Amino acid sequence: MRNVIRTASALAAILAAFALVACGGSNDDQTEAVSGQLKALPGAPTGDQAVAGEATLERADGTTTVTLTATGLEPNSAYVAHLHTGGCDQGDPGGPHFKFNAEAGDEPPNEVHLEFRSGADGSGQARASSDREVPAGEAGSIVVHEADAEHHTAGEESGAEAVLVHEGHHHPEEPAPPAKIACAELEGGHAHGVSGEEAASRGGKVPAVVVRDGEPVGGVAELEYDAGEEVRFEVTSDVADEVHVHGYDLLQVIPAGGTVSFDFPAEIEGIFEVELEQRGLQIAELTVNP
Amino acid sequence: MNLLPFAHALAARQDLPIPAWLFAWGASIVLIVSFVALSVAWRRPRFEETRWRPLGAGPSRVLLSLPVQALCGLVGVFLLGVAVYAGLRGTEAPDRNFALTFLFVTCWLGFPVLSALLGDVFRPFNPWRAVGRAAGAGFRAIAGQQPAHLAYPERLGRWPAAIGLIAVVWLEIVYGTSGGVAVGLEPEAAAVAALLYSGYTLAMMAVFGVEKWCDRGEVFSVYFGMFSQLGCFGVEDGRLGLRRPLAAATRWATPFGSAAVVIASIATTTFDGASEGPLKGGIETVFDWLSGPFALDTALRLTDTLFLAACFGMVGLVYMLGVRGMRSVHGAPSLQKLRVGFAHTLIPIALAYLVAHYFSLFVFQEQAQFTYLLSDPLGTGSTDLFGTASSGVDYTVLNANAIWYVQVGALVVGHVIGLMLAHDRALAYWPDYRDASRSQYWMLAVMVSFTCLGLYLLSYSNQ
Repeated sequence: MRNVIRTASALAAILAAFALVACGGSNDDQTEAVSGQLKALPGAPTGDQAVAGEATLERADGTTTVTLTATGLEPNSAYVAHLHTGGCDQGDPGGPHFKFNAEAGDEPPNEVHLEFRSGADGSGQARASSDREVPAGEAGSIVVHEADAEHHTAGEESGAEAVLVHEGHHHPEEPAPPAKIACAELEGGHAHGVSGEEAASRGGKVPAVVVRDGEPVGGVAELEYDAGEEVRFEVTSDVADEVHVHGYDLLQVIPAGGTVSFDFPAEIEGIFEVELEQRGLQIAELTVNP
Repeated sequence: MNLLPFAHALAARQDLPIPAWLFAWGASIVLIVSFVALSVAWRRPRFEETRWRPLGAGPSRVLLSLPVQALCGLVGVFLLGVAVYAGLRGTEAPDRNFALTFLFVTCWLGFPVLSALLGDVFRPFNPWRAVGRAAGAGFRAIAGQQPAHLAYPERLGRWPAAIGLIAVVWLEIVYGTSGGVAVGLEPEAAAVAALLYSGYTLAMMAVFGVEKWCDRGEVFSVYFGMFSQLGCFGVEDGRLGLRRPLAAATRWATPFGSAAVVIASIATTTFDGASEGPLKGGIETVFDWLSGPFALDTALRLTDTLFLAACFGMVGLVYMLGVRGMRSVHGAPSLQKLRVGFAHTLIPIALAYLVAHYFSLFVFQEQAQFTYLLSDPLGTGSTDLFGTASSGVDYTVLNANAIWYVQVGALVVGHVIGLMLAHDRALAYWPDYRDASRSQYWMLAVMVSFTCLGLYLLSYSNQ
């Protein structure tokens, strides 16, 4: 009998180990990385049109590390890259800079900047870390700018500001603003995973789903809310159709080039499709957690 | 970028993944229950005899009378006809057409649960059996003799049903994912498939005999009949009776290929759960690879077919490993006998998988079935038979917590019943009860892996 018990105990231990292996790993949120290929933007200067490379954003234990490798740059030049909230495909590639706190300033550590110089072979790499975690879905893209010598002499940290000033107040006698030369798409130009409350706290920005050429830009957008919150988002489409939020069964007609906005309480839990009804095309996924 | 379409045509809503804490509780309970089962289990087999005893003569006479059987058969034929007609003539929108919800939700998911509770309720309503029997009766009346059938090749066993079962799910979630949009299976395709299947089934019934084909090759009879073995209602010698719950299952798997039917059931549910979860990455990789030489929808169907087949292979492999393990225990019967003898212990797991994966879909979609799909079966807005055509599905009837508890509860209960059946069968096969217990470490490992896989699929977040 004792033998049976001993065997059974050993077996239970083996099974427990087995279960840990088989069942484990369901919760793999310790380290998570997103990466994207760096591609030259249409308006890049002639010397930078062959830029390629990769950008990676890694979240681990409440910190964020961004790394960038690039080739095909102009040799021995200064560059600066920023983390943006939007995707590469939109009219202004990347949209606004990502900020940890929307009210605070536009310099590190509130933003993520990477400054680097290319080598003689036109390659370069950079790395930036932050002791805060970029919320899921907000790391839209990494955009590389040319950094001109002036603001580097003025101070390394003010690079982004200089760029913005150049873009905002452009005088004919001043040199052309440093162009955005390349962009690496990370989590893409839509409201990926941004909760409505969060978006509201970031200056009332409502997640926007953009449909271009009959496809959702950056893939199916992910909208996530807790039950009881207010679901707010906008859909802009270049094709006429009806936007249907399944489950909640809300339907709005959208004309070509038009925008419709949704605003309703999140009272049904689950994961729901938002689709262009006539095309049967899913454009967003609405998640309501209990 | 190629957008991968959704697997489920009807589910405009998906369940939230079960949270980590519930996953941990579920897995712990499974382990504890398994361990306790090893130490306190009984020593004499209890389910080998069904102890069937007839219910009063009245219910048998009424329920099994010819007019009632004919009426049930007519209802079955009529509903199949409605589904086919709606599929052919109704709207293309899968969620507004009677055909898809009726065939793939109401029947395909409803009958397994109903059968487990009430016995083989599909049998009287089986439209093909009804037509086959009517044709047989007509033949006898005209020719004045019994129809002559070929002897069914027993080496095929229930394999035709197992393959048919995979084909049904293939049609639903692999073939249906065409076109790169979230439409899935078109009602018309479902109707055409139902017609083809009807032709095939009636032909096979003509060749091998109605009852023989229903017991071996007719997918729905075999599949729903399998679940009906778990319950306590059964018909024997033309009489309705009560039997010990689970006991009938011990005899179900005797025909060759029965194990394949249970394994197919577990594997197809696994594929449906995993294709949007853990297998998604793999599917996308193979799809990208195949979309070079093939057109997009062909590549997607090929990819899904490969993964569905792989699921069948993997589930079968786990079971075969368990069987091989048991063979190594002192006093074990032959491998063949073990393989056949333990197949029925997976039936509760198969049912648990179904409940865990489709419970919420069933609850929500049945609201549609009994409101607007009933009033407006074609989905064209032209009819309102019962005044419910404009109703919708109320998704607030189940909250996420309720769904999670049902899912985890189903898996744990299925696990426990599977263990009970396996332990009982081992006691019947091994002369020494200690050897029997030892052999069950292996089946325990099989069950724990299936249950954990089930939990894992439920907890997997596809984000």
